[in-house]
Amino acid sequence: MNVAKLSAFLLRRPGALIGLALLLVQIVAILFAPYIASFSPTDADPLSSTLPPGGEHLFGTDELGMDIFSRVVFATRVNLLISFTAVFVSLAIGVPIGVVIGFYRGFLSTVVLRIFDFLQSFPIFVLGMALVAVLGQEIWSVAIVLTLLFVPMFARLVRAEVLSQRERPFIAAARCAGANDLQIMFQHILPNAMTPVIVQISIAIGMAILLTAGLSFIGAGVRMPSPEWGLMVSNGAQQMILGVWWIALFPGIAIVLSVLCFALLADALRDLTDPRLQGDRRARTA
Amino acid sequence: MHAPLDATPLLELDGLTVGIGGDAAPILNAVTCTLRRNEILGIVGETGAGKSLLTKAVLGLVPEGLRVLGGDVRFDGCSVFDRRNEDLRDLRGGKIGLIGTNAKALLDPVAPVGRQIARVLRAHARVGESEAQSRAIALLREVGITDPERRAKAYPHELSGGMAQRVVIAMALVTDPAVLLADDATLGLDATVQAQVLDMLVQRCRRRGLGVMLVTHDLGIVRNCCDRIAVMREGELIEIENVDAFLRGPRQAYSRSLLEAAKARPTPSIARHTASERPLLQAEKLVKIYGGPFTHQVRALDGVDFSIRPRETLALVGESGSGKTTAGQCVLRLTNPTSGRILFDGEDVTDLSAQKFKPWRRRIQMVFQEPYVALNPRWRVRDLIGESFRLLDPMSRGERERRISALLDAVHLPSSLASAFPHELSAGEQKRIGIARALATDPDLVIFDEPTTALDIRVRAQIIDLIRDLQSRRGMSALFITHDLNSVRSLAHNVAVMLHGRIVEYRSAEDIFATPREAYTRKLLDAELPVEDPPGRATNVSEAIAV
Amino acid sequence: MPLAATWHRLPRFVRIILTRLGMIVPQMLGVTLVTFLLVRLLPGDPARLILGNFATDDSIKALKQHLGLDQSLPVQMERYLIAVLHGDLGMSPFTSNPVLTDLAQRAPATLELIGYAMILTVIAAVSLAVISVVRPGGIVDVVARIYGLVAGAIPDFWVALLLVFFLFHILGWAPAPFGRIDAMINAPPTITGFLTIDSVIAGDRTAFWSAASRLVLPVLTIAIVNTGALMKMAQTSFRGAYQSEFVNHMRLCGVPERRIIRSALRNALPPIISQTSFITGFLLGAAVLVETIFAWGGLGQYAVQAVVNSDYAAIQGFVLVASAFVLVVYSVADILYELADPRIQV
Repeated sequence: MNVAKLSAFLLRRPGALIGLALLLVQIVAILFAPYIASFSPTDADPLSSTLPPGGEHLFGTDELGMDIFSRVVFATRVNLLISFTAVFVSLAIGVPIGVVIGFYRGFLSTVVLRIFDFLQSFPIFVLGMALVAVLGQEIWSVAIVLTLLFVPMFARLVRAEVLSQRERPFIAAARCAGANDLQIMFQHILPNAMTPVIVQISIAIGMAILLTAGLSFIGAGVRMPSPEWGLMVSNGAQQMILGVWWIALFPGIAIVLSVLCFALLADALRDLTDPRLQGDRRARTA
Repeated sequence: MHAPLDATPLLELDGLTVGIGGDAAPILNAVTCTLRRNEILGIVGETGAGKSLLTKAVLGLVPEGLRVLGGDVRFDGCSVFDRRNEDLRDLRGGKIGLIGTNAKALLDPVAPVGRQIARVLRAHARVGESEAQSRAIALLREVGITDPERRAKAYPHELSGGMAQRVVIAMALVTDPAVLLADDATLGLDATVQAQVLDMLVQRCRRRGLGVMLVTHDLGIVRNCCDRIAVMREGELIEIENVDAFLRGPRQAYSRSLLEAAKARPTPSIARHTASERPLLQAEKLVKIYGGPFTHQVRALDGVDFSIRPRETLALVGESGSGKTTAGQCVLRLTNPTSGRILFDGEDVTDLSAQKFKPWRRRIQMVFQEPYVALNPRWRVRDLIGESFRLLDPMSRGERERRISALLDAVHLPSSLASAFPHELSAGEQKRIGIARALATDPDLVIFDEPTTALDIRVRAQIIDLIRDLQSRRGMSALFITHDLNSVRSLAHNVAVMLHGRIVEYRSAEDIFATPREAYTRKLLDAELPVEDPPGRATNVSEAIAV
Repeated sequence: MPLAATWHRLPRFVRIILTRLGMIVPQMLGVTLVTFLLVRLLPGDPARLILGNFATDDSIKALKQHLGLDQSLPVQMERYLIAVLHGDLGMSPFTSNPVLTDLAQRAPATLELIGYAMILTVIAAVSLAVISVVRPGGIVDVVARIYGLVAGAIPDFWVALLLVFFLFHILGWAPAPFGRIDAMINAPPTITGFLTIDSVIAGDRTAFWSAASRLVLPVLTIAIVNTGALMKMAQTSFRGAYQSEFVNHMRLCGVPERRIIRSALRNALPPIISQTSFITGFLLGAAVLVETIFAWGGLGQYAVQAVVNSDYAAIQGFVLVASAFVLVVYSVADILYELADPRIQV
């Protein structure tokens, strides 16, 4: 698909355009955070504690007097780093497992599947707390918790696709052409099973951002003073009841926009990756 | 042979035009015809001719995105399009019954079929649930379902295709309609079941004096069931004629080409082998049992023997579940027989490992039944055809390209198609790609699994011609797996009739068609609805009924 | 095989329920063992934690012996299993209560919250899905589309805070986010542990209104966040059924639209059931964020506290109860799923 077609595709989908714009904003925030933010994200200033938005502090300050705008900008780095790492590591582990347990339906595959069942039905926040307790309160611990959650998700998704593909006649046809198990699994089945996975990547990044924020919120994630959106909302939680709304509001909006961005991109990818939905068609209804 | 026709038209289509509107060509263009009481009108056309849309438009229900652009449909003198919502609902399924294709998809999968029939009745008449149920059961009996009380409680997935079709017919008849629209009502059913269902349907309609529009792509059905025929092409009704007159000679060139394509061709003669010539393929006492020791066992193959000599074509004929496809899969080692031997060119290949069997793959190839699903949707035609080159004989890129365009040429496709994806091709083109793929390794034996099903009449004839042509030029042997006797007549030298995993009759094609010995073979032959009388046989559904 | 014959003569729903019940026992056993192992992987020496940093090695050793921590893993496992079978989940050194008592006190709070939230979620999601599919392009469809996109992106704890800020702080419509019932009102005598039900049983109007109004914000929070996902799933499933051939056939047979929608929804149920059970199971752990904000005192908060305190017995107990709950939810969902789809062989 060339540039002209891609832009035509985007113009027909305002959602995709908004998604791309939001992605661009985040990339800029990641690359140029020190230039955008006028304060250090981690420096407390007791003299300017809990200042409302406006003036020098665009989004106001928190109880410790940290500039909320700077923290929101810098947190993009932390949140996206955790999410992307977790999702792509899970992808690299989960997809091959999914292909194999979908293709060979033996005892071992069943065992793997049961383990996944258990991992997925395990209360995520308790698992997160427990692991962070074991591994220490580092951002990598959060990434590992997310990976544990996402590996089964990707593996199951791929497995379900493989199951539906493996009985299709073109697999038998490939066998007739002389293809062996490995070639069938990775050349024939996997490309056909990837469409939902590609869409799921984007969704998973969104989920990862939400879960990271959630874990930090209950104190099982990133530690102060690191800038992280969930942690920042958590800092503002008590104040919210008293009417100090800005501490929790802005990082919350950042979470919503970031997750929304990946949800919109997922929708666009779903249409884009389906060869049956692409633009140039001489499909004759036969 | 026709029953006396009522003069006043029951249903009138007057210049009916349906389309997207604007500059786009209409999908139905000024269709004009009438349907009388006690008449069966056959509507024939190929895919995309607008046949199915016609039946929906008659009910005043065109799919989303389409509009009625002009013309009118009158039922009993009143326009269908004028009616208010409630009247229309009364027309649909009330005055006009509809029988669709693929009955199993038309039934609600989570409701018992008896209740579904009752549901239609209760939508049109004030009757209680139990009254509706008993009417449904009575009707199920009438459409030939044994033990209707029990069947009424069954879910659609528990019924065979033929039974589901009868249920759909019962749904259409339950409100005592005056007009019945049957849209390819027997597509996909086994021939003997199709004959029974059609027979029953025609009888019911004649007895009740209904006007029936029988939409089909099978001229054999028209010849055997209908009074008049209407030929559709690209949304236009190009010819409407009494069936007898039509069969003697259609007026339009297109109609003639349809009729011609529906006729069987004489089997190509091959140089008679000397008896000493060694068979290319021998299957000996093949047995295939599905299911384990603790589950229900199915003997898909139960001691099957056959052999094919070089340049010879054997047809395995049978209905669904007879084991003919399993036999083909055993030969290709897509599944392993439980017992028995397969000899290829004198060598036992039954127990070879996948790796050892690989060299044999190039000599035995298969053309799969449904062309679209047998082609990896993400691969281009070039890669699909070239897959076996890549896997079996490594060669240079240029050499591969040359061979691919030669193969495309052999199946009469332009080499420009090499970079197309399967979904961009028509069904006929997909079928040809499937054949080209099988020819890629220059095989000695090609297995054709249902090569002619689900194809339009003319495309089917083209594919049959192509296969005949390829066989005579390349001198390969073929194993045909099919239920389409018409194509068997055109292609096979020998025929093996299969039933419940066994071969019941195995003789030369001429002999089997002229003097079938087994009762089942005769039943199969009787169920065939040819467009022309084969010599020596003359059975005809509508004649049998007229008597 | 007379046994098999008897089995097949049983009505289908009896077979479904018996099969599921038969599966719960080994599954529960597996869950118990895995829970035991998993919790043992946590670091920290429980004996030292209980006794504090100034304990002597001897007293730690004595306590270890008392708790059985000096035994080999299989022996510990066996002891644990036997204890669980007797309903003994151990003592929590931090609340000084038997873990079972702690959990039994807190479980109704969480279940009441999840229960009402799921009822609201399912009703809202299915209604939105059905209306948006039946009337594409209508107001409901547009609203549902925007909501479906945004709902998945909102963190529940943030929604909770916004609701508190607007409905409590600004408008003053909602009660303060401090617990399940007003501190000035006597809670009704505990029968089910569900305050709304207990107060109805006790005929205590004030307690009922207090408990019900305290439920509004947390229930709303959970429903707002989870309705989106369920709605999208219900839309896909219902759209598939509503646009299928059999529905079109029903329409061509003149069956009224109301009846058609009912049949289509009936067909669309199985995936909705699975998704509902999945969300319900997930919420048991995930509701902790909402519980924290509203000081709900439920299971989730207890578990988080237990992790912070490295309270082995409490964590084990919670995970066991949570897994059992998830198992029950999934089993009920499986039973409903199989009842809803007659094509599944039992």
